[in-house]
Amino acid sequence: MIHFKNVTKIYDNITALRNISFSIEKGEYVFVTGPSGAGKSTLLKLIYLAEKPDEGIISIAGYSTDTLKDRAIPYLRRNIGVVFQDFKLLENKNVYDNIAIALRIRGVGEREIRERVHEALKLVNLRHKADSLPSALSGGEQQRVTIARAIVGEPTVLLADEPTGNLDADNAAGIMKIFREINARGTTILFATHNRDLYKNTGCRVIKLDSGNIVYDDLE
Amino acid sequence: MFYSAKVALKSLWFYRWINLLSVLTIATGLFIYGVVLFSLYNLERATQRVPEKFTITVFLKNRTTEKQIQRLVDSLSRERIISRVKYISKEQALEELKDSLADAAYVLEGLDENPLFPSLEIKLNEDAFDKKETELFIKRLKGLEIVEDVFYGEDIFSTIKSLYQNFRVVALTLIVLFSVAVVFVCYSTVKILFFRRKEEIEIYKLLGATKGFIRGPFIFEGTFIGILGGLLASGALYTIFSVLKGFGNPEIPLMRTLELNPIIMVIVPVSGMVLGFIGSIIALGRLKY
Repeated sequence: MIHFKNVTKIYDNITALRNISFSIEKGEYVFVTGPSGAGKSTLLKLIYLAEKPDEGIISIAGYSTDTLKDRAIPYLRRNIGVVFQDFKLLENKNVYDNIAIALRIRGVGEREIRERVHEALKLVNLRHKADSLPSALSGGEQQRVTIARAIVGEPTVLLADEPTGNLDADNAAGIMKIFREINARGTTILFATHNRDLYKNTGCRVIKLDSGNIVYDDLE
Repeated sequence: MFYSAKVALKSLWFYRWINLLSVLTIATGLFIYGVVLFSLYNLERATQRVPEKFTITVFLKNRTTEKQIQRLVDSLSRERIISRVKYISKEQALEELKDSLADAAYVLEGLDENPLFPSLEIKLNEDAFDKKETELFIKRLKGLEIVEDVFYGEDIFSTIKSLYQNFRVVALTLIVLFSVAVVFVCYSTVKILFFRRKEEIEIYKLLGATKGFIRGPFIFEGTFIGILGGLLASGALYTIFSVLKGFGNPEIPLMRTLELNPIIMVIVPVSGMVLGFIGSIIALGRLKY
């Protein structure tokens, strides 16, 4: 599903990732961990091609960075759902439209959009907030909207970059439960966090980064 | 496509003050554009019909016989573009000259013989007037054996013609200048709107939006702004023309001959649409995403 082969990423003479290689199979739930600046966010950005590798090859869901044309990037991204720490919600659109936009981009008809958005809202338990603006929601609710938007397009891979970073323990637990449900449906998940409590005793695979190197890659 | 148009219409309303300002600026430019087209059209019409106001005088050679003159008059009377042919003998011409000189008739004293030529005065048919046909007709007349010369006010005609040609150059320059100005206004508006929605666009990109999906609404918006500016300009042109025509009809004879061609009323908004589209394409073409 995801293959990194000798990937290096350098920002202004600072090596964010150094010659890393790993593979993630379909349906896996993988935690990417490590201290701040270890390269977790860079790794995720390379997967959804917000950044391109300086060296090495990344292949995701049949797309390979060495052959991928710029105009194909949007189609790759439609296979990937991303949950951002800072939510990245459209402030002038309500919850429904924030989620629906992911499907409108794909050219899905409004009737189907209505059904799928309501299903996604049901999963994140926010059906009653469909008409609210993001500014009227709590941090936990906003993060759940982001998750609904990320999964509504039925991506094969879901990336989460510190999704519980701004949330209290209860909200974080709620979000983790949603991620487990999504994974149970067969979606591959890469969850970046520096919080060990989130993956402790889960039995999931953990990739630990430090200064751009993989220092641990095994089950928790 | 439908979604892009819907988003564009929403954005037109959401950023209504910026858009209104752009529409008014474009309308001003396109109004001048329309005035230039209107002037060009009416001047062309006037130039086309100028020669019909002239009487063509055909000077015949002194040796021309009555029979030849009669044959020519008969043949000219059958011409579609001629309404009247009048023969003036050299004696009649001399009498007319004497009458017109009146008190200064002494200048003609001492002339042994009549120096004037017999002539034909030809009045053109206004309803069947055709500039090209008239020019060809005059050329044909000049080629006749019994014709000495033809006078039809060609100096005045060529002056008006050259004035019209000069005005055409000025008009085309103005049209190009105002087109560039309208493109620039649309370009700036779309660029401002694009930057205002940059954060939103970044999110769309991360969600997998194609360039077409991102650009579509902006292209529609620029085009809509152009059309609205054009419609406003056309409306203003029509209103001002109607008001002037209504007030000016009895006093200014010029107003009677002026005409606002409906095609101009269509050209202006269509130009606005095309120029708005071009402005948007240029604005987005230079933006990276």
